[in-house]
Amino acid sequence: MEEKKIDVKVCLGTTCFVMGASNLQELIDSVPKRYGDKVEVTGVPCLGLCSIDWKFSKAPYVKVDDDVIKEATIDKVFAAIDKKLGNS
Amino acid sequence: MFIDIDCVQEKKYKQNAFGDYFVSKRYPQDKRLIAVLSDGLGSGIKANILSCMTATMLLRFIEKNIKIKKAAEIVMNSLPVCQVRHISYSTFSAVDCFDDGKISVVEEGNPDFVWIRGTEVLKPEFTIIDSVNFKNRHMKVYKMNAQLGDRFIFCSDGVTQAGLGGGVLKLGLRRSGLIDLLKVKLANNPDIASHDLAKYIVQQAKLVEPNRKPIDDISACVLYYREPRKSLVFTGPPYRQSSDREFAFIFKNFVGKKAVCGGTTANLLSRELNAKITMGRLISIDSLPSCLEMEGADLVTEGVLTLTRTFEYLDSKIPDSNNAAVRLSRFFLDSDEIYFMVGAKLNEAHYDPTLPVEIAIRKNIVKKIAEVLEKKYFKKVNIQYM
Repeated sequence: MEEKKIDVKVCLGTTCFVMGASNLQELIDSVPKRYGDKVEVTGVPCLGLCSIDWKFSKAPYVKVDDDVIKEATIDKVFAAIDKKLGNS
Repeated sequence: MFIDIDCVQEKKYKQNAFGDYFVSKRYPQDKRLIAVLSDGLGSGIKANILSCMTATMLLRFIEKNIKIKKAAEIVMNSLPVCQVRHISYSTFSAVDCFDDGKISVVEEGNPDFVWIRGTEVLKPEFTIIDSVNFKNRHMKVYKMNAQLGDRFIFCSDGVTQAGLGGGVLKLGLRRSGLIDLLKVKLANNPDIASHDLAKYIVQQAKLVEPNRKPIDDISACVLYYREPRKSLVFTGPPYRQSSDREFAFIFKNFVGKKAVCGGTTANLLSRELNAKITMGRLISIDSLPSCLEMEGADLVTEGVLTLTRTFEYLDSKIPDSNNAAVRLSRFFLDSDEIYFMVGAKLNEAHYDPTLPVEIAIRKNIVKKIAEVLEKKYFKKVNIQYM
């Protein structure tokens, strides 16, 4: 049976973009190199998370499958993917 | 009808100023457009001054509805006298036209304009007005009614006399040669924009010049009556979520080009219209979020940041790039009538004081864009709030 890919979504909405998603380009470039085709990473228009908990200002948001990563950095996203893959 | 007008020019070889001058102005409230193409005596700076004075003065006179005979005399009496030839002179073609097709043309000295419907050249009637003070100077006055698809081509003698005395065409391109070129071009490309056709004429004229070095200033002006190009920009979610579907279908059914500005807005349309959103491998170009792709939309961008940058570009200069704001600016410039559907719902997160940049209010930035499109680019703009 084919293994299900891990789906990484980088929010490119306005708030996330100005709060740091613009620095996550490396994620798009390095995920395929690091994990091959086990993980698929894409930019998405707006996850709508900022308007739910905007008072806490946790943008930028990245979703790894259904897990939300707040104040996402490349390291945090890698850590989340590793955890899913059971590498750590 | 929308009047698409443009002029393309080429300087005489080794001159650093255009000896022909073109000026046009739209009057959106009167649905009127006035344009003047003038060819100054000689070439270079001297010709440039003569033609510039002629064109700008005539435009002002026509704008104020002053009789053309009187206007032309005033212009001729005002021009500086050439030290070499001891005369003051510049030729002109002046066009005064309206969106309903009414068009009047006054020519003095320039080659007769060409009126083309499809690929057929029409021969309009004209009256001749002789100059009071100057012998051998007379104006041709035309009054016509244009139809959808009609084109009027004006040029300086640099086009009709291109190649004169040398090369393949001993007598130059002449008006008949220009008409042949136009017929072939229009048969192959019936919807060609005025700018492209004017550019083609100038290129062809330059090609027949000996060594492709223009021996005179070359100018071609094309006026084209066509259907306005309509476009729609959907930005921001509607105030009431219950109206999402209704507005999404207005977007879907719009006939023309469509752009979406805003991530949440794109999600809304994707959900309501069942259209898939995809994006490329670049997150950002020139510190703006990259464009997305969505079925049924010609352009999908992020919202307020892109709109703010687009306003800056339209207000000053559009850089040579492929970022989202440049693409949106070009989207606007390629349209004649622009409809905005602006959602009134606010995203509180945009007004969080801890954000590193100030994010404008969507409604305000759309108003500013509409203003610059109307005043600087003469576009027709309509804003609807949702």
